[in-house]
Amino acid sequence: MLRSERRSLLRFLTLYALMAVAVVTLVSYLYYRSSERIMLLEKKAMMADYAATQIRRLERLHERFPRERTYPRDPRFRSAIYDVEYRQIFSTMRNNAVDFLRDIYRKYGVIHFVKLLDRYYLGAKYLFIEIPDDRRWVASTVRKIALGAGGSLLLLGILGWYLARLFVRPMRDSIELLDRFIKDTTHDLNTPLSTILANVEMIDPARLAPEDRKRFERIEGGARSVSTLYEDLKFATLESERPLQIEPFAMEELVQERLEFFEPLIRARGLRIHRDLEHAPIRADRQAMARVVDNLLSNAVKYNRPGGTVTVRVGPGILEVADTGRGMDPETLETLFERYRRGDDAEGGFGLGLDIVQRILRRHRFTIEVHSRKGEGSRFTIRWKES
Amino acid sequence: MHKIVFLFLILAATLTAKSAEQNPFDRNCVPCHTSVGVSLRKTFMNALLVYSGKENMKAGLAYFLRYPRKDISVMGEKYFATHALKEPTTLDRRELEEALEIFWERYKVIGHLR
Repeated sequence: MLRSERRSLLRFLTLYALMAVAVVTLVSYLYYRSSERIMLLEKKAMMADYAATQIRRLERLHERFPRERTYPRDPRFRSAIYDVEYRQIFSTMRNNAVDFLRDIYRKYGVIHFVKLLDRYYLGAKYLFIEIPDDRRWVASTVRKIALGAGGSLLLLGILGWYLARLFVRPMRDSIELLDRFIKDTTHDLNTPLSTILANVEMIDPARLAPEDRKRFERIEGGARSVSTLYEDLKFATLESERPLQIEPFAMEELVQERLEFFEPLIRARGLRIHRDLEHAPIRADRQAMARVVDNLLSNAVKYNRPGGTVTVRVGPGILEVADTGRGMDPETLETLFERYRRGDDAEGGFGLGLDIVQRILRRHRFTIEVHSRKGEGSRFTIRWKES
Repeated sequence: MHKIVFLFLILAATLTAKSAEQNPFDRNCVPCHTSVGVSLRKTFMNALLVYSGKENMKAGLAYFLRYPRKDISVMGEKYFATHALKEPTTLDRRELEEALEIFWERYKVIGHLR
């Protein structure tokens, strides 16, 4: 899966997961509130009876006050009375944080039921009845919510996976179409390209007139550039999965060989080469490493400024290719190794080069670092463990 | 020495009498209720049934005392079968306020239940 594809999928799944969790949370909350409401309704009838009993006792006390001053108590509930100005007249309740606007509610482990009196016995307009909240309903509700939410999230997860696949299918289809196209094109490129290169090799530039020699160098450079592209396409479509053929070889020799191959192209572009090649033994797939070197050199040529320099340094465990081109901003660096990602549309290409480089290096467990500064150039550094 | 104690007692009795004389509740409400034979405690408990809170009761009773009407009295219809409606109060606003404050404090339920 490509990085951009993976990122789109991740974004979609994150958004979907957030929405799914939000919906499940909201439904769970509503269910919890509804269970609480049902429990309170069940308690309400009982507490209304308690209130009626207490009102009769308040009426009797009102008639006998002040000869009798003992506030009526009941083992089944606690109570409090408040006047019309919300002032407490008397209370036996544990929790006196009362709410005058709701008829029944839970608060700090108790349930309060509020009854408004028609006649204000002892001045009481509000009678609060308090019973403890045993919270048995909470355990049962939470268990149901956990089961329901778990099941819903599982179903939504399966649906999300299905939707995610639908979501990325157009992207995947386009990539597969492009892969197929490249595969077909690669087959057809082989014969004409081989013919061009074979004939180019047979021509001796020294025997050409100076203006023809210049044209010939351009043709040779162009042919080698197409050859690099062809090798990339072949590798990307036909050889990427072949087993690596690890062998010991000298990296500086491979680099020197590839520099010679690129020399006509470099000359045609008017670039200078600065090489520093020390002995660098390596154990790797030579053919694959040639693709790595070719791509780095090809990019250094392609994205260099006119009259710029390509610097190649090889040493024990290190290969560095640097250019003096336009460089890249940090945003571009982030997606540099993505497949079909081109540095510059004006330079053409399929955007396969650095994807191939990265895939080869990953298979070898080699590392690559890129340092680039806008307007100054880029430097690619490959490191491997010395053999 | 005996003379000093005697003079002090005379002075204290005079001051107490003056103080009682200055309390509009004891000066106006108590004698009137005593003469018509209506308990102030009973009146308070009736008022409590109607008005509930202190400020509400004071406002309600002040209005009734200034503009007495049977339909807004806390005493009920039976009371007027044997008693006449009282005359409007002659107390000014400040005295009436003070009298009602004393009425509330003297008979209130809050703080007297156990």
